[in-house]
Amino acid sequence: MPGRSLTRIVALGAIAALSLTACANGSDSGTGTTGGDAPTDLVISTDLPLQGASASTSESTNNLIQLYLDQVGGKTGKYNVKLKTYDDSTAAKGAWDDAACAKNATDHVANASEVAVMGTFNSGCAKIEVPTLNRDTTGPLLMVSHANTNPGLTKTWETGEPEKYYPAGKRNYARVVTTDDYQGNAAAAFASADLKVKKCFVLNDNQTYGLGVARAFADAAKKTGIEIVGEQAWDVKQPNYTALFQAVKASGADCVYLGGIYDNNGGQLIKDKAAVLGDNSQVKLLGPDGFTGYNDLLKLPQADGLYLTFAGLTTDQLIAAGGPPAKLIEAYKTKYGAAPTGNYPLYGVAAMQVILAAIAKSDGTRAGVTNAVLSGEGITIPKAESVTGKEIKIDPASGDTTAKDITVELVKGGKETFFKSQSVQ
Amino acid sequence: MATSTAPRTSAPSPSRRSLSHYRWPIGYVVVIVGLFLLYHFILPNLVTQVSGPVTAWLPVATLNECLMWAIMALGLNVVVGYAGLLDLGYVAFWALGGYTAGWLMAAPFNWTWDFHLFGAVAKTYPGTHITFWLVILIAGVLCAILGLIIGAPTLRLRGDYLALVTLGFGEVITQFFRNSNDIAGRNLAGGDGGISIIDPIGTGPFGATGLVPPGLSNGAQDNVYKILVLGLLVGACLFISLRIREGRLGRAWLAIREDELAASMMGVPLVRTKLLAYAVGAFFGGIGGVANAAGITGAVSPSGFDFGKSVLVLLMVVLGGMGNVWGVTVGAFLLAWLNSNGLKQIGVQLDSWFGTTLTATLPRYNYIILGLLLVLMMLYRREGLIPEKRTKALMNTPSRTEMESMGAESLEAAAETAAVEKADAKTDAGIAASAAAVSPVLDESTPKREDRS
Repeated sequence: MPGRSLTRIVALGAIAALSLTACANGSDSGTGTTGGDAPTDLVISTDLPLQGASASTSESTNNLIQLYLDQVGGKTGKYNVKLKTYDDSTAAKGAWDDAACAKNATDHVANASEVAVMGTFNSGCAKIEVPTLNRDTTGPLLMVSHANTNPGLTKTWETGEPEKYYPAGKRNYARVVTTDDYQGNAAAAFASADLKVKKCFVLNDNQTYGLGVARAFADAAKKTGIEIVGEQAWDVKQPNYTALFQAVKASGADCVYLGGIYDNNGGQLIKDKAAVLGDNSQVKLLGPDGFTGYNDLLKLPQADGLYLTFAGLTTDQLIAAGGPPAKLIEAYKTKYGAAPTGNYPLYGVAAMQVILAAIAKSDGTRAGVTNAVLSGEGITIPKAESVTGKEIKIDPASGDTTAKDITVELVKGGKETFFKSQSVQ
Repeated sequence: MATSTAPRTSAPSPSRRSLSHYRWPIGYVVVIVGLFLLYHFILPNLVTQVSGPVTAWLPVATLNECLMWAIMALGLNVVVGYAGLLDLGYVAFWALGGYTAGWLMAAPFNWTWDFHLFGAVAKTYPGTHITFWLVILIAGVLCAILGLIIGAPTLRLRGDYLALVTLGFGEVITQFFRNSNDIAGRNLAGGDGGISIIDPIGTGPFGATGLVPPGLSNGAQDNVYKILVLGLLVGACLFISLRIREGRLGRAWLAIREDELAASMMGVPLVRTKLLAYAVGAFFGGIGGVANAAGITGAVSPSGFDFGKSVLVLLMVVLGGMGNVWGVTVGAFLLAWLNSNGLKQIGVQLDSWFGTTLTATLPRYNYIILGLLLVLMMLYRREGLIPEKRTKALMNTPSRTEMESMGAESLEAAAETAAVEKADAKTDAGIAASAAAVSPVLDESTPKREDRS
C-alpha cells in the first residue's frame, strides 16, 4: 500500500505541477481588458429552483421573462440586456439548497457583466444571497424578488432583521410582492368584516412562511375583535388530523386559518377539517396564497367554500382584464402551447420590469442600478405598462412594493373564483 | 496510542521510515497549495479561453464544497469503514456542528447579550461571535459527546437494527431543530428559518498583516483562501484517520468489522471500542458542520439537513472504498462535484456539442445516474474505487461456507490451493501482523509487518 498510495500522490502532484507550468506559459498572453466606458451589453440573471417541486413554475418564469425580453427587443435605455439563468436547487434535495444559493451569490458577484439578479423564489435562499451581494465592492448588486414574502428581508421582524442582511449598511434588495404580514392583515380584516366570524383557530405548518402568515393573521385578528381560541402547528408527516380538528371543535371556533403551503399535507388537512367540523359554509376555512395555484386542491370536493388570499391579481383575472399581461400570456401560449404555471411567472416579469427601468435610469454600473431602485424616488411602473395590471411602485427606503392590494378568492365548483378585492393599511 | 504497538521485528532503517512517513503529507500539501495558487494567481492572469473552462468545470465554490464533503466522508469512514457500524443518520452530527456555529458565531436570532472572542466581525456587531477555530473544537467535542449518547443504547444492536436506530436519530435531530423556535417557550435555534448570518472565517494574525482578508466571507476572492482553510481541516482529518488506523484502536475497529465475536474473544473491549468509533466519527462530523455553516453557506436551517445528505455521505464512503481514506476522499470529491456542478456542466457541454437542452434537465437524473453507478460498482468493483487492501484480500478469498455447502471436501482443498496461488504474500503478512498486534499471542509466527494504508 505505501508504494501505491505514493504513486497516486506523485501522480496528483505531477498533474498539479503540470497545470502550474501550463498556466505559467499562458499567463504571458493574458491581458486585462477592464476599465473604460460603462459596458453597453449587460446581463440580468434569474436565480430560481429549476429542480424539484418548484421546477415547472421556475421554468415558466424563465421562459416568460425571455419572451418579454424578446418582445422589448432585448434593450432598455441605451443598454442591450441578456438573460442568464442560475439554478439554486440540487436534484438530490429537490428544492433550493443553501450551498447552491451561496455558490450562486458568489457567481453573481464574480460575473462582471451582471448588473442585477431577478429572484430568488424562496425567502430562505434570499437570506443567504443578499448579504453576499451586499458586500460586493462594485455594487452592492441589486436583487429584485418576485416571490419572497418573508417580512424579515425588508422590515423589522425577528431579532436583528433586516439590518443583518445588509452588512455594508446600504440596501440592495427589493421585491414586487407584498409580505406575509399584509396577507395576514387582509385575511383578518376580511374574516371580521365579511365573514363576521367571532372565534378563530389558527394553524401553521411550522415553516418560516406558514408561521409568518399565521402570526400576522392572529395579531391582526385580535385587533379586529376576533378571539383567537387556539394556535397550533400541524405535523406535516401525520397521516390524519382528526384529533387536531377535534380540539378545534372543542374550542368552539367558527373559523379556521391555515397558515402554510398546500404541499405540506394540505389536502389531508382540508379533508379532515370537513370530516370533523362539517363543510366550509359552517366553520369557515381561510388560507393564504400558499394554497393557491394547486389543481389537486381544487379537485377536492371538501375545498369548496375555502377562502384564499393572494397578493396581487391571479393570472385568470389579468387575462380577463386585457392589456399587457393578457398580450404576454397570449404570446406565451402560442409559443409553448400552454399558459405559464402558477401566478408567479408574471410577477417574475414584473420584477424584470423594475430591473429594466432601473438600468435605463442608471449609468449601467451595479451601484448605479441599485441606486436607481433604492434611492431618490425609486422605480414606478405605470399601470398601462405593468404586467400585473396595476401600478408597481417600489419604496426606495425599504425596497417593498407599495401596492398592497390583496385578492380574496373563493374556491367554488373546482375553480378559484374572484371574490373581492381587499386593501390593507 | 499509535506508538505503543510499534512493530517489533526488522524495522526499516530510520531515515527511510521518516521519509515514508512524510510522503503523503508532502504530496497533500503540494496539491492543496497548488490548487490555491492555481485559483489565486494563475487563473486570474490567463486569457478567458484557458481559465474559463477550468472555472466552469471546477469553480472555487464547488472545490470548497468538495473539501467540506471530504471531511464528512472521512468522519463517516471511521464509523462505517473502520468499525463497520452502518450509520444512516450521520447528518445529525453535521447539523449539530452547523448549529453550534449558529449559536456561537452569528448575528442574533433571539439572544440578548453580545459576546466577542477573537470574532471576525466588528466589536459593535450584536450577537455571539467566537472565532471559527475555537468553534470547530467546541463543535467537535459537542458532537463527540452526542456520538457517545447515541452510541450507548445502540451497542447491543448490529447490522440492520443499528442502521434503523441511527436513521431515526438523524431524523429526530432535524425535527428537533425544525421545532426549536418553541422548546418549552424558548427559541433555541430559530425554528424552520434557522440561524443566519454566520460569521466569516477569521484569519487572525494572517488577517492582521493585511495580506489576507481579516474574515473570509462568501466573496469570490475570499473563497480562494478558503481552499487553504478547508484543505487544512481535510488534512487534519486525513492525518487523524491514518494515525488512528495504525494504532491499537484502529486495529481493534478493523477486528470488530471483520468479526465481532472473534474480536471480543481476542480481548477487544467491544463497548469502549464501538463508542470511540462513534465519538471520533462524530467529532469529524462536527468539524464538517462548522466548515459548512461558516465556510460554505453562511447560514443553517433544518431543511439543509435532510436524509438525502446522510445517504450522500454514505455513498461517498461506499463508492470511494470503505476503510481507505484516499478512496473515501476521492469518492467525496467525485459525488460532491457531480451533485453541485458536475452534472450541470456535463449538460452544458453536451448542449454545446449536440445542440440539446440538457443543462436544466440532466441534473434531474442525478439519482438515476448515481443508482446506475452504484449498481455497476456492486457488480464489478464491490470494494470501491480505491479499495482497502484488507477488504480486497477478503473478497478474493473464496467463501468457505459456500464451498462446504456444496458438500465436497475435495473442492475445498482445490479452492484453498487457488486462494494460496492468488494471494499476495506481502498482503497476507500485513493482515497477519495487524491481527498479531491486536493479540500478541499470534505474533510469534509472523516474521514481518508492513501494513500501512
